[in-house]
Amino acid sequence: MSSSEDESMSEVDEQEEQEKKTKSEGSVLDYIMSLESVPSKLPPHLDLMRTRVFCNNDAPDHTETIQYSGAYAALGVDNSIRLDKFCRNFKVQVNRLTEDDIEFDMMGIDPALANAFRRILIAEVPTMAIERVYIANNTSVIQDEVLSHRLGLIPIKADPRLFEYPENAGNDKNEKNTIVFKLHVQCEKGHPRITVKSNELKWLPDGSELPAEDVKPNSGSKPRTFTSFSCSQDSLPEFSTNPIAPKNLDIILAKLGPGQEIELETHAVKGIGKTHAKWSPVATAWYRMLPEVVLLKEVKDELAEELKNKCPVGVFDIEDIEKGRRRATVANPRACTLCRECIRGGKEWEDRVSLRRVKDHFIFNVESTGSLPPEVLFTEAVKILEEKCERVITELS
Amino acid sequence: MELGSYSDQSKSTFSLADEDHTLANAVRFTLNQDPRVTFCGYSIPHPSDNRVNIRVQTTGDPAREVLKDACQDLMLMCQHVRSTFDKSVNDFKMSKTVKDMDIK
Amino acid sequence: MDPQPEPVSYICGDCGMENSLKPGDVIQCRECGYRILYKKRTRRIVQYEAR
Repeated sequence: MSSSEDESMSEVDEQEEQEKKTKSEGSVLDYIMSLESVPSKLPPHLDLMRTRVFCNNDAPDHTETIQYSGAYAALGVDNSIRLDKFCRNFKVQVNRLTEDDIEFDMMGIDPALANAFRRILIAEVPTMAIERVYIANNTSVIQDEVLSHRLGLIPIKADPRLFEYPENAGNDKNEKNTIVFKLHVQCEKGHPRITVKSNELKWLPDGSELPAEDVKPNSGSKPRTFTSFSCSQDSLPEFSTNPIAPKNLDIILAKLGPGQEIELETHAVKGIGKTHAKWSPVATAWYRMLPEVVLLKEVKDELAEELKNKCPVGVFDIEDIEKGRRRATVANPRACTLCRECIRGGKEWEDRVSLRRVKDHFIFNVESTGSLPPEVLFTEAVKILEEKCERVITELS
Repeated sequence: MELGSYSDQSKSTFSLADEDHTLANAVRFTLNQDPRVTFCGYSIPHPSDNRVNIRVQTTGDPAREVLKDACQDLMLMCQHVRSTFDKSVNDFKMSKTVKDMDIK
Repeated sequence: MDPQPEPVSYICGDCGMENSLKPGDVIQCRECGYRILYKKRTRRIVQYEAR
């Protein structure tokens, strides 16, 4: 027993010797920085200004993000976020994930990047949407162009990554860049009015069926149509099991009275939201900063009741402390909508409650229209930002 | 496209076509984090023109290299964001299936 | 010059019946006698951009 104790003692001695060695090996700076009175971080009031937006009654304060690496150089504090520090501090937490929307928290990221992702989600992630409408017959009360506009806005459940942009193929409309739908509805005479919904759009995997104008009668057995599909889209494995269709089958397109008919063919192509909003893959995507509600003074008894009733979303709650008295606590700061009801009503309320936002904690919401699931949409948006950077790098080299 | 002087490589303006606030603000953020940078900013000369000017002034290093490094950093940050996000989505899906199985 | 191959059918403004008229016919609906007839929509395929 004693011999093992001796061995452990000698190990500890060796460690101490090594520590002393590293200390004396020019790490005087480390030693100085490890002293208590030397500031290596910002003083708390400056750190609060750097990391929190103060939402006062009249206007928010300290809203800018202090990104410059030398911002606190006079204090000797390094403000830069190097890549390793970013990778260590960055966290993502998913709160809700359904087929159509996702809510997740991103911590440790700057608003510039969060906004870039939001802008890309809205405007630059590609989707498939109807672009060309060939109307063979439309005797309904809905005008041709109005009907075409409505058709363009229908979300289509097709993965845009499996298709190419139409510009890349020149004038060729083939199965790699076009999806063809047909709509042929008729209301017979004597029947009541019918409503044309988006479930009437039938997918044509073999391509267009309408003959093109310059069809040569002796050019072969098949007449030329508006598209030239070399193989049926049905044969592709992705589409043989789940056929391409509009995402929502109950969108009302038109209403027909007796004797009216609509016969048309539409082509859907790939595009981005920047060109036209119909190609935007999200119903919308937004983010907000995490709210932080701090009680600066103790709020007791009647004031606590008043505070709890003021808040419309239930941020505050009452807890009992000794002697039958009650105190207000912040139960659910995440629900705060910054309506500022709790600080309305005079200066004494502003001195009791402080509404703040955390500058690097974002609560993201992405609602997809159906072409891609929302988590895939976000990943695609990040990929697109990477591609942009790559383009700049190749341009610079 | 770079506008600068041949004698002083540390200050120049880069004019990027087909770009807007999306990339420019993100690049400006990563440029600010670089300790070699004394000044960086971006401007959009005209909103109808799809063009953005990024100005970089450094402490001696050629501005082109600093901008390239900033773009590389941004790419690595994006990759890290992507992998963290994918991992947390998978974790969430795993925990949800476990919860569903537990309820069953 | 142009022999005008087939007689064109017009739609009565009142009862909606299709009337075929040849050049030189009286412009009148065969069924109700209404004298305003509308031309049918073209059979050509019209292309629109869905924007």
